[in-house]
Amino acid sequence: MADMVNILVDGTPIAVEKGTLVIEAARRLGIMIPHFCYHPKIKPDANCRMCLVEVEKMPKLQTSCSTLVAEGMAVRTNTAVVEEAHKSVLEFILANHPLDCPICDQGGRCDLQDFSHRYTPTKSDFLDVKRVFQKEYFSPLIDKEMNRCVQCLRCVRYCDEVIDAKALAPIGRGSRTEISHFTSHQLDCEFCGGCVQICPVGAFTNRLSDYEFRPWMMKRADTVCGYCGDGCTITLQSREDELIEVISSFEKGRNSGDLCARGYFGYQFVNHPDRLTMPLVRQPDGRFEPTTWEDVLPLLAERFTQVKLAYGSEAVGGLITSRGTNEDLYVFQKFMRLAIGSNHLDSAARFGHVNAVEAMRRVQGTNRWTVSYEDIVNADCLLLIGTQITWTNPIAGLKVKEAVKKHGAKLLTIEAMQPSIETTSNIANLSTTHLTVEVGRHPAAVHGLLKAVFDEGVADNHLAATASGYVDRTRAAVSALPYPEGMDEATLRTIARTFAGSRRGVILIGQDLLQSPGGYEASVNLMDLLLLLGKLSEKGWGLAPLTEENNEQGAIEMGATADYFPGAASLDDAAARTRIASAWKESPPVGAGMRMLDMLEAARSGKLKAMLIVGENPARTLPASAKPAEALGRLEFLVVQELFLTETAKLAHVVLPASSYAEKSGSFTNSEGCVQKVRAGLEPLGGSRPDWEILSAVSVLMGYPLEYGDAAEILKEIRAVIPGYRVLGATPEPARVDRPAMDRYVGGGFAEDMASRYRATSNITQDSSYPWSLWVGQSLFHSGKLSTMAKGLLEIQKEGRLYMNPADLQRMQLAEGEMVTLTSVAGEARVPVGALGRIPRGILFFPESFKEAIAGLLTMTPDAVTGVPYHKQQRVAVHKT
Amino acid sequence: MPHELILLKNMSQPGYTGSLADYERAGGYQAIRKVLGKMPPGDVTDLVKRSGLRGRGGAGFPTGVKWSFIPKDHPGPRYLCCNADESEPGTFKDRQLMERDPHQMIEGMIIASYAIGVRIAYIYIRGEFVMGAKILERALAEAYKAGYLGENILGTGFAVDIYVHRGAGAYICGEETALLESLEGKRGLPRTKPPFPATNGLFNKPTVVNNVETLANLPYIVNRGVEWFMAIGNPPKSTGTRVFCLSGHIKRPGNYEVPMGITFREMIYDIAGGMRGDKPLKAFIPGGASASFFTSQHLDVKMDFESVAQAGSMLGSGGVTVMEEGTCMVWAAENLLHFFNHESCGKCTPCREGSSWLLQILRRIEHGKGKMEDLGTLARLCPNIAGRTVCAFGDAEIAPILSTLQYFRDEYETHVREQRCPFRRAPAPDLIAVGHG
Repeated sequence: MADMVNILVDGTPIAVEKGTLVIEAARRLGIMIPHFCYHPKIKPDANCRMCLVEVEKMPKLQTSCSTLVAEGMAVRTNTAVVEEAHKSVLEFILANHPLDCPICDQGGRCDLQDFSHRYTPTKSDFLDVKRVFQKEYFSPLIDKEMNRCVQCLRCVRYCDEVIDAKALAPIGRGSRTEISHFTSHQLDCEFCGGCVQICPVGAFTNRLSDYEFRPWMMKRADTVCGYCGDGCTITLQSREDELIEVISSFEKGRNSGDLCARGYFGYQFVNHPDRLTMPLVRQPDGRFEPTTWEDVLPLLAERFTQVKLAYGSEAVGGLITSRGTNEDLYVFQKFMRLAIGSNHLDSAARFGHVNAVEAMRRVQGTNRWTVSYEDIVNADCLLLIGTQITWTNPIAGLKVKEAVKKHGAKLLTIEAMQPSIETTSNIANLSTTHLTVEVGRHPAAVHGLLKAVFDEGVADNHLAATASGYVDRTRAAVSALPYPEGMDEATLRTIARTFAGSRRGVILIGQDLLQSPGGYEASVNLMDLLLLLGKLSEKGWGLAPLTEENNEQGAIEMGATADYFPGAASLDDAAARTRIASAWKESPPVGAGMRMLDMLEAARSGKLKAMLIVGENPARTLPASAKPAEALGRLEFLVVQELFLTETAKLAHVVLPASSYAEKSGSFTNSEGCVQKVRAGLEPLGGSRPDWEILSAVSVLMGYPLEYGDAAEILKEIRAVIPGYRVLGATPEPARVDRPAMDRYVGGGFAEDMASRYRATSNITQDSSYPWSLWVGQSLFHSGKLSTMAKGLLEIQKEGRLYMNPADLQRMQLAEGEMVTLTSVAGEARVPVGALGRIPRGILFFPESFKEAIAGLLTMTPDAVTGVPYHKQQRVAVHKT
Repeated sequence: MPHELILLKNMSQPGYTGSLADYERAGGYQAIRKVLGKMPPGDVTDLVKRSGLRGRGGAGFPTGVKWSFIPKDHPGPRYLCCNADESEPGTFKDRQLMERDPHQMIEGMIIASYAIGVRIAYIYIRGEFVMGAKILERALAEAYKAGYLGENILGTGFAVDIYVHRGAGAYICGEETALLESLEGKRGLPRTKPPFPATNGLFNKPTVVNNVETLANLPYIVNRGVEWFMAIGNPPKSTGTRVFCLSGHIKRPGNYEVPMGITFREMIYDIAGGMRGDKPLKAFIPGGASASFFTSQHLDVKMDFESVAQAGSMLGSGGVTVMEEGTCMVWAAENLLHFFNHESCGKCTPCREGSSWLLQILRRIEHGKGKMEDLGTLARLCPNIAGRTVCAFGDAEIAPILSTLQYFRDEYETHVREQRCPFRRAPAPDLIAVGHG
């Protein structure tokens, strides 16, 4: 229990923790002290002077935002003197304020407006000329109106302290102080929208919604963002079924009001004119003909039944995006398993997250994190391996930044990008110890870390005594390996020593590790690392794999993969089968399921005759060399549920218009396993329907009725079938390590693939015909298939560029934007180049959301254990032509 | 009136160049020989405390007391910063002290560093003092060469390094916490206090900030003793001399070092030669632009901390600006507000918005567009700035207005009534473009 301090606020006693600010103590009593510059997320600056209060025995008024409580302190917030001070500060601010409230988007939710209404008379003594700043173009997404600015610098401080981008700065002095950015022409930053959200007035506004609304006219719905796995609570603000803006309220959700570019500016795909609004049926001449649900549903039931009768249930496969709700995913797998009768189904979690889940199930007996965001914030050491966290999972990245910047945690990074000073944040800049590792070589770095654990003598003695076989054999396997070529031994040893010596540590892994060869084995080996340090089952310690899509964790837990039933239970888990059969009143099919690549192969070979694809686009996602379109083209019947007419949809026999996340209710499960409510902000666009509704309707016509009145009914069934879905909401109890499972692993389970897990990885390939290492990954502004339909994000990044280190660009005598030709063993591509200081020399980066431009270059290798298709790196040559 | 010069003594000798050799010849660098390794650091602080030496930068805080606030057992570095950002209008003593006799101040810094336990000290010098910075760099190089700085000074084992850092042109950086921000490489804005620099100063370490003149006094206090120093000036509260900067409508402007406690009359008429053209004196600023105006009725006020404060102003930085009969007081206030508005850092609302508003009102009155209500607005706004700002700048910017309103209200009223400046000065150019447009 922290030391408590007793104070009086306006005569009311309250006990608060030592170190509490007076303004916060008052807030707990429901007393709102007016303020502009104060915000709980950032350090007090006490510049606006609005929050002045009387403190007994102090001669001057004190700023309550910077005054700490002291025992016996008596604070007065409502005396005549204090009111007069509030009035006077407002009078000063309003002297220069333009009072253009009728055309200001902040009007109606503006602190200055509210306080003015509360404190100031209607008449001003200011008779002179108001300060006018010259209007300047700021950025395509954020409008800056400096005349409205109250110079509280919240934006600048947030951008620095929370986001760590430092893209904004005040320039000029006195009443001419102006918020500006560091770049010469227009704002170049992370576009998290934080400056807009944290501005107490209308100095920063969202240009995507400029002049579109008055806040009180909008319909609001609190839901969860549909981009990455961070699970941010957002509020959809709409008018007449058009999504006007997305905001996020402070202290709400796992993100506590923070957002990223995708979350804040990436919403306009929802009302995109190209959205599908009617079912489409392919005609004999190859054209699509729009039709009605009444006509298309019987057609679907009939065709699926025909295929089943003719070729058996095994001839039908299903693939679903992990962007859907748990309810969509659950009904999808149930539809496949009961209505179709096939275990051949998979989801986008197959692209990498299954590697982490399989490792966690094997070593710690859970399919979830044993830590939460709070554990990240409270850790004193964080180890990031292959996460690219700010780009892929920006809000989880903020938790890391908070731990480091606010609480002084040590940050160890083994990442593909190197430290560099830019106007977007770079997690490596905050590192205590950093090792730059090319994508694909993270597993080798993990080997190096384990070797360092033994070389530094930091392995847990207790474990060595109780599980000597495990420790000795791991030591022997690791010691036989050399330190990986090109990685500094001292750095690896420092990382191992620092991590081992910390009080609470979390290992975060992400796409660069999980979506590259060796992703599964490296995940298991990292759990070996935690075991060897004696930390795996300790409170606050754990492995935290970050998910790319918003509901990959849910996809696995709903059983929407070939390997698992709902609850991530193995298909051969008899108890799970019984439990599910009793809930479903019918037994799920026996027999192994085909995974994504198996299904494509089966389609190619003619074994698979029909497929149901929900929101996935394998024709584009998988490299051209894997010929996904050709495989899909051989199907007798392909049904695609989609928002847009994608490459895969174009191959379909029937295309069904699906609703976006903004138009449906249900739940998402984020990276940390937190199950959160998704609420519809809009009516389904046109004739679109939520995915589960479509499948439910087809199932009825097929004679296997999966009938649900609404998403809540599905969730009720989910909660009965799946352990762990009883607790919903934003504060989950993290899973615990399952002791028996861990003991099984340490007692011998580890040994089954020991040789392959600790096999020396191939060294850096020196291929003189393809000297560059190309890496295709997610960028900050785009992920998945929807961001490139969002106008706002396209304003920031409209095309794929081949990013390379400025020194490489110079060496090649290339200018930004110039076209180059890339060649690989698979083919060639022509793309423009760009410079980025954080890309190490010799490395090329291309954002995957634009990868159609380089689709011809890539090759694919599947993971031998988990079937994950690895296709994100390629040796290439760059030709200046 | 004969009195002994202390700080200006060396430079008053013909041929004195301020070089190390000259300084040593005049008895320089003897004080550190008495202190380093000979006296426990705590005794040095005690000595300075007993001498009654008070800060010469403006606030007049007792120097020894300031040093004693440094936590004794703090692990890690602590810093000394010499505040050489002399920017107060009408003040130009530090410049002369630095440029003409730099070693005096450097020796003072070594003594202070020893007393506080400082390994690295900084001289934060006003950016415009290019020559001063060069002179200091040269003097530091001489001192290093002679073994007075760096490792193992005079074989005592004590070590200190001094660096010169030039400011970038903001008045506010003379405020000690803004100075520290600027020295850290940040935008020079004052910090909210508490915490104070003594515990959370430069790079968040315990820090003492002392003015040039304050530090220059130290070698003499060490050499000649507390009793000698205590006997100078108006003890016990105002000991020692002050270097006053005389400017304005007087015959002999310049720096004059006198024991504190003489009257303004003696200073202006006896020492600075009286009024230019023997015109009557109308008003004067007793201690830099931040001090309230005095009038001829205050000529017999003594020039020491307490007496000036009692009479309603402050001794401040020692800049005395004298104005003759016929000077427009509204114009004088406008002129000063022009400065304050230009230099307000903009961090906090009352000062930022207040300075530009006040200036606009004063300018309107001076240019014949004033209204009677403006006088009430001025009187109403000023107290809303005082005491409500982050630093003392807010108190400074209202001093000229409140004091001229107090002593020369009739002049304001005449301006408004006649819709012109009664002193018929040529219309002043519009010096400030308020805003960007």
